[in-house]
Amino acid sequence: MPDRTVDPTGDIPNIPRAASGEPRATASGFGRVIVALYAVMAVAAVSRSAVQIATRFSEAPIAYSLSAFAAVVYVLATFGLARRGPTARRLATVACTVELVGVLTVGTFTVAVPSDFPDETVWSLYGFGYVFIPLVLPVVGLWWLRRTRGGTGAPDYLT
Amino acid sequence: MVALVVGGLVVFMLGGVLAAMGRTPGDGVLVLSALLELLVLVQVVWAAVALARGDRPAELLVFVLYLLGTVVVMPLVVFWSLAERTRWGHLVVAIGGLTVMAMVARLWQMWQAHRA
Repeated sequence: MPDRTVDPTGDIPNIPRAASGEPRATASGFGRVIVALYAVMAVAAVSRSAVQIATRFSEAPIAYSLSAFAAVVYVLATFGLARRGPTARRLATVACTVELVGVLTVGTFTVAVPSDFPDETVWSLYGFGYVFIPLVLPVVGLWWLRRTRGGTGAPDYLT
Repeated sequence: MVALVVGGLVVFMLGGVLAAMGRTPGDGVLVLSALLELLVLVQVVWAAVALARGDRPAELLVFVLYLLGTVVVMPLVVFWSLAERTRWGHLVVAIGGLTVMAMVARLWQMWQAHRA
């Protein structure tokens, strides 16, 4: 994983640098579990919004557009977390943040004025229909992105 | 149907327990996943026969999508866990079991809705 095999200080040549300095892959170790959860949510959200839009879009255009938006966010988050590199990391961070804001906004809205949401989206009632996974997942995702970004290094039990 | 929910539960629990024990994935989890997949396939055949006979669940399109979805969950999850031969591989499989359980429950709901 570290691409420099020579210690930059020159004190101990040819010994791999400690992994703690470099960003780690977000899709290994505990990250693999997060990616799996995101993939499940992505597939669920995409299928749900596809069916909603294809069969009865006119009934609740706002809710169904929101469903589609959430689906895109989940897909982007899944890819961002599954792939390596700074671009993927940035994509995942943005997607997780948007997801967190989305679930909090839509969740609050559906609790406050339920009549405006005649049909469910994944974010309705803070993700109640999906055992609150939509609420917990972005927090875990962002925490994991921070953990793996390098500098501090994740504790051993998470690798 | 009941067998499937129980099967999903078993995979979920076992995956979770093995992950908690910090064991590295072996053949046990694979065999169990294969068994669950077999149950899923039996359900698909059963549902296909019922649909061919003219039985219609509520929301036919969603029902069929869920049915197809249940088939791909375990293979994908096992594939994804194989590259991770640590305790987290087990947890990934556990999530697969939970997903199958949730999907079967939803299928059952749709099937009952048409009967009622």
